[in-house]
Amino acid sequence: MADVLSETVPPEDLKKFEKIYHEQLYKNDVTPKAQFEYAWCLVRSKYPADIQKGIILLEELYKTNEEGRRDYLYYLAIGTARLKEYSKAMTYVRSFLSIEPGNQQVISLEQQIKKRMEKEGLVGMAYAGGVVLAVGAILGVGLAIAGKSKS
Amino acid sequence: MSAGPYNYSYIFKYIIIGDMGVGKSCLLHQFTEKKFMADCPHTIGVEFGTRIIEVSGQKIKLQIWDTAGQERFRAVTRSYYRGAAGALMVYDITRRSTYNHLSSWLTDTRNLTNPSTVIFLIGNKCDLEGQRDVTYEEASKFAEENGLMFVEASAKTGDNVEEAFLETAKKIYQSIQDGRLDLNAAESGVQHKPSQPGRNNLSSDQQASKDNCAC
Repeated sequence: MADVLSETVPPEDLKKFEKIYHEQLYKNDVTPKAQFEYAWCLVRSKYPADIQKGIILLEELYKTNEEGRRDYLYYLAIGTARLKEYSKAMTYVRSFLSIEPGNQQVISLEQQIKKRMEKEGLVGMAYAGGVVLAVGAILGVGLAIAGKSKS
Repeated sequence: MSAGPYNYSYIFKYIIIGDMGVGKSCLLHQFTEKKFMADCPHTIGVEFGTRIIEVSGQKIKLQIWDTAGQERFRAVTRSYYRGAAGALMVYDITRRSTYNHLSSWLTDTRNLTNPSTVIFLIGNKCDLEGQRDVTYEEASKFAEENGLMFVEASAKTGDNVEEAFLETAKKIYQSIQDGRLDLNAAESGVQHKPSQPGRNNLSSDQQASKDNCAC
């Protein structure tokens, strides 16, 4: 089985981007690019601890780098879904779709997440009242994403 | 999801590459959904699509990784090249710059895939004849010089889209028949799935990770 939720990063790639990130971190000068590339690899790791770390890096980017927000939201959805935190993942997907309703890539991610939930008997969970959190609440920021997709 | 025998005998991995805005995702969408996506937003990272086709009576599942064309994704999308059996390299016939960048895409592809990888050049947007910026002859010559297969296609009208994906598969299948492509080689981009009855849905997560670490 291969899809965006199950494919994994080649270990040598993870190492490569980890190294670049750490070198920049050491100089106290991490670029959003290096952080994103490392986080993108981390959320595709087969180890949950890596995925968790990738999510933290993406959350940080989301708060500090407006430009790449749609990318960060997308990979936050993938990371949380891979950790089986489906209601969070759905929140990311939905807030993305509230800005770009017709985005096929994200619609298809939403379908894959739903499929996984069904498979794991979790259907309905994300829709239950009170479970859905606002992205702002998860990330600790205000409703800042609206209108930022066009650039 | 499916338990029991596979309903296809091979899996071929494809990648779609090329500058941003040349219509890579639209070609994929046209091929998998038979629809044209007008107003297609920029792809984030990579997108994935599948379709089962038939070549010489064999059912083949195409697993297609459609890469984002924007420069900021390029470093990481390179890891998707590995193990591709087919590479569709796309430019836009109405924008010469996208054609001029082909040699850089080709270099990447040659460096990151294996010698048996089939590279298919697609000149997309051939419905926009009035805005043509690259002649058919010129691109055809480039393809010939570099040993690439080539068509001009239109994701909008669907012209030649099917052909590009299918011809690539035929060429890969031929390489398998000729023994030029070793199925057991790591990163051949091809998996053989003997369709045998039996259950294999122990845990699809486990299976997925096994599939993926067959390095």
